[in-house]
Amino acid sequence: MSTADVALPATSRTRSARMFAWIVIGATFAYVIENYLAFWQGWPGVTTLFSGDFSVLALVQVLIYAVLIAGGVLLVQRAPDRGLRDEAETMKWIANFIVRAAFWMVMLIGIADAVVSFLRVEEMLGDYIGAEMAGTWNFNSNRAPALHLPLAGLAVVIAAFTRGIGFHWLALLVVLAELAIVLTRFIFSYEQAFMGDLVRFWYGALFLFASAYTLFEDGHVRVDVLYSGFRDKAKGRVNALGAIILGIVFCWVVLIMGMSTKSSLINAPLLSLEVTQTGFGMFVKYLMAGFLGIFAVSMMVAFCAQLMDGVADWRGDPGSHLHDHDDELAGH
Amino acid sequence: MEILFLVVLLVIMAGALASGYPVAFALPGSAILTILLAAATGYLFAGDDAAYFAHGSAREWLSAGVINFRGVYWEVERDTLIAIPLFVFMGIMLQRSKIAEDLLLTMAQLFGPIPGGLGISVVFVGALLAATTGILGATVVAMGLISLPAMLRNKYSSPLATGTIAASGTLGQIIPPSIVLIILADQLSSAVDQAQTQRTNLYKDTTGELSLPSEFAVSSTSAGDMFMGAMVPGLVLVGLYMLYILVIGLIRPKMAPSVPFEQKMDMRLLGRVLLILIPPLTLIFAVLGSIIAGIATVNQAGAIGAIGATIMAGYRLREGQSRAFWPAALAIVSLIAIFIITSLYDLNIRNIQTDAQRFGITVATIAVAGFVASVVWSLWRTFRTDDTLNGVMIDTAKTTSLVFIILLGAAMLTSAFRAFGGEELVKDFLTSLPGGFWTQFIIVMAVIFVLGFFLDFIEIAVVVVPIVAPILLMDPGANITAVWLGVMIGLNIQTSFLTPPFGFALFYLRGVAPRDVRTIDIYKGVVPFIALQLLALVIVGNVPSLVNYLPERLRMVSDSAPPPANPRLQYCLQQYLSEAFDEREDELRGAIDQARGLPLNLLPEDVADDLAEAFDNAEASFANMTAITDAGTAVDEAAVAYRPLQRAVRALQRVIGKIDDRVAELTTLTNRLRSTAPDSPVIASNEARIVDLEAEKAVLVAQIPEDWDPVHDSFAELTKADIQARRTFQRSADDAFEPVNDLRTVLAATETLAALEPELTAIRADVASGDPAALVERIEALRSAMREAEAGKPTVKGLSDARKALRKDPDPEKAAEDLDASIAALAEDLAWRRTAATEVLPGLESYSAALGDTIGLRQLDQLPRDPALYVAACNSEHRDISLNF
Repeated sequence: MSTADVALPATSRTRSARMFAWIVIGATFAYVIENYLAFWQGWPGVTTLFSGDFSVLALVQVLIYAVLIAGGVLLVQRAPDRGLRDEAETMKWIANFIVRAAFWMVMLIGIADAVVSFLRVEEMLGDYIGAEMAGTWNFNSNRAPALHLPLAGLAVVIAAFTRGIGFHWLALLVVLAELAIVLTRFIFSYEQAFMGDLVRFWYGALFLFASAYTLFEDGHVRVDVLYSGFRDKAKGRVNALGAIILGIVFCWVVLIMGMSTKSSLINAPLLSLEVTQTGFGMFVKYLMAGFLGIFAVSMMVAFCAQLMDGVADWRGDPGSHLHDHDDELAGH
Repeated sequence: MEILFLVVLLVIMAGALASGYPVAFALPGSAILTILLAAATGYLFAGDDAAYFAHGSAREWLSAGVINFRGVYWEVERDTLIAIPLFVFMGIMLQRSKIAEDLLLTMAQLFGPIPGGLGISVVFVGALLAATTGILGATVVAMGLISLPAMLRNKYSSPLATGTIAASGTLGQIIPPSIVLIILADQLSSAVDQAQTQRTNLYKDTTGELSLPSEFAVSSTSAGDMFMGAMVPGLVLVGLYMLYILVIGLIRPKMAPSVPFEQKMDMRLLGRVLLILIPPLTLIFAVLGSIIAGIATVNQAGAIGAIGATIMAGYRLREGQSRAFWPAALAIVSLIAIFIITSLYDLNIRNIQTDAQRFGITVATIAVAGFVASVVWSLWRTFRTDDTLNGVMIDTAKTTSLVFIILLGAAMLTSAFRAFGGEELVKDFLTSLPGGFWTQFIIVMAVIFVLGFFLDFIEIAVVVVPIVAPILLMDPGANITAVWLGVMIGLNIQTSFLTPPFGFALFYLRGVAPRDVRTIDIYKGVVPFIALQLLALVIVGNVPSLVNYLPERLRMVSDSAPPPANPRLQYCLQQYLSEAFDEREDELRGAIDQARGLPLNLLPEDVADDLAEAFDNAEASFANMTAITDAGTAVDEAAVAYRPLQRAVRALQRVIGKIDDRVAELTTLTNRLRSTAPDSPVIASNEARIVDLEAEKAVLVAQIPEDWDPVHDSFAELTKADIQARRTFQRSADDAFEPVNDLRTVLAATETLAALEPELTAIRADVASGDPAALVERIEALRSAMREAEAGKPTVKGLSDARKALRKDPDPEKAAEDLDASIAALAEDLAWRRTAATEVLPGLESYSAALGDTIGLRQLDQLPRDPALYVAACNSEHRDISLNF
């Protein structure tokens, strides 16, 4: 470690970059919360205020935006000298937490719903939870709140008390779920729709949840004809500007297209608790629409982290991750 | 304006890609930016945010992009993609547990003494390994690190060594189970749908028919098909590489010296060699074999591969320790047990009937438990040893993610490209090229080749294929299969990856090659391999059967093969029959004559008539077949003059059609303006434009030769006659067999029918005294049993009448009469049937046996092997069907 490794002092530029990132993150969460309030709780929505229909609830929704966005500004002002690398680490932690919670969710719900679906196909569900309840569980409006929701809550708790990334286990789970199909189909001539659904459920989660981590590890392919020849400063510039212009914009489009109305393509399946049309499948298709939301939110935070690291590299802050993987490539 | 934004899109995209920002986000990001930009400028300058789109609005296109995006995992039709994480898991497990490395080094040792042997084994292992880790040049890097030093140490010339490694590293793109082929299959299957729609429209425009006959349909593809299709070309390539190195080894031993065996060959070494070679080879063959044999889907095969690799890693990671092989041994024992049990018992768990089955299932469950235990055991070892499992899972997750996020991003890009009319533009450009399909094809291939310098395989597959593939696939003249197109694209990009100065493989190799290997050596080294690649490309391009035959053959001989009456098979089937008729006409005619000699007078008159007609029809098949040949010759002869004319006129008509579209569009716009803004100067300019267009159209119309309509009509007569001849033949062949088959069914049921006689007489006995309602029920039961047993009409009618007489106002006397009639008719039925069974049936059977595999082919449920193989070979060639359009 030479003297050059001392962090450069904070400037107004670093502060605006940090503030921008936190505002984006705050607005993202506000958007998701507002979406929940508007479409699940029937609140009027922010836009009604502008059309003249005053209501307290709409005002509260505006306040949620204001508080979360102002929170971003405050965060930076309270710690004006916080390093960009530290900010990036915090954001990565947030993204990893979201993904970790989502991973536990799909793992727990996947296993539980697969078991329930199996018992249902074999008409044994009643033996375990009573015939009446088994009957109501033929409808997802009953099964989802009774089975999926508590597991989702549990998943968040587990995520809060564990560390690590978690989602990579989905790679193994996909293999095992497909192996189960192979064994039962070829040996016992037994194959049910829910088995394929389980594979699909976990595989969709695998690549969508892994995206943020892959970005942190610089695993997404680049056309590096020029990039590999760039100096670190230029690489930082590419990453910082790319994160804003290409990445964050992209995530917003996914969120807005997915959530702006009741019939948008994330909201609609979630609201109607959509299930696959094939008989006796799992009741989790609606959650797969939610994957897209989790992907967009986790990537939004990840791009903000990339922005922090990018600006830091642009400035020449120490602690660059740009060369982390050079050795790995050579050691493959 | 759309064109301008299309250019903007391409510029932003090129800039974003060149900047080095991750492709997965550069593609959708630039698409979104352009869409937003177009909407904003449209709103500012034209007052309408949709003004600068070819059609639709910004919101619609963004939403379409996100829908495409979600479709990747939302639609069940795209399930094939699930195979990707499974194969990646398998590949990374083999690599991280050093099984791949062992394989490479051992093969090199084994084949070293042959001239060029080291190089040959590098090619061989490259072909095997690349299969699973073929994206991202991981194979090139791995092989560069392991085998390049070995080759250089053994005095291989550095151009040859680097060329061999770069070339065999890229083999993974084409050799199944390659991830790239899975993605291509996914993209091509939606391209096939589009091409199908376009071809149907073309057919509708030119013939006026609303639906496209299914024999003219665009042939579809699947991941399994792609694997099969790529197999032979991949092997051809491997063969060419090996041959080249062998030849170099023979004529220039200095460049590729043989490597003497370093150790003494003894049993111990042999054992080790076998241990290293056999398991991975078995695994790869099991995976491919299960797909080829049609046993497993590609996804299931992927799971088999992943688990097999894990079990192998389980012992490889504990190499040299005691009990290293226990889990693997447990797995093998369990598998053998499972195999034995499944061949002894029917283990369908939903249909357990006997104790033996119950026993079988119990034993099978124990065996499966053993297998699962060995999997868990192996996983535990990989988890504990060097963190292998963790690394494999993380790498699998990362690789899967990077592949899929590109797929998602490209979905958005495709949406933007369509929004600005890019697809139309490319289509117009390609279809306006002189020279037809092959010019289009070569240009597309050249573009892909150049793109291969900058973009990885996945990007090209997801960006370019959806745009160009439908255009190439719809062409009825070339009538190519999707599999062939996919394999050609695969081979092409692979060549591009090798080509200096930009080829991807070369970058990867440069990165890991020692400094004293000069870059120019690498460039020089790949040149011969590029030549071989191009040679392979030319061979496969000219002999489409190399690609098409294997998937076609597997389809035709599989259990789910299309039935012989399937319209798609008729053309080839008739060709087969024509040859069979030429060879065996005398024999077949003899069989028909023999059948005519049967004592048909023993049969009821209508049955006898049907049979006689059937024999006439069989006889007529020969003449009908000649008619097909004649009609075909007539079409071919007329086509010589007709084809160039047709091509020219269709090209003109395409342009005219476009002008018509444009005029219609302008007219609607102008009409709308007249009501909203009557003073707008645009109205006048639009009208002037319409006049210009009409004039342009008039010029084109004048270019269509005057005699086109009569020429076209008379040619259409010929093609219609051809189709008619084929239909006539089919009908005569069908009619030659249906009555025979019907009679055989009737005669086969004779004894079942006889068994019903006592019940009939019993009912007759009870009819006077019995309860009418109960009688009706008995009669009904008997009647349906009679029908099942093919009873004659009078017999059944008697029963029906009796039933009627017994319902409402029961009239037992009338019923008794009817039953008597039925009894008499049954006796008659049985009498002639029993005679026929001995006098006629054997003759019919020999008729069926003699003609069943020719004239009666269409009546079978599945084609016999010989015609099936003939049809597979015949269908694997691309047949020009443009004359029908």
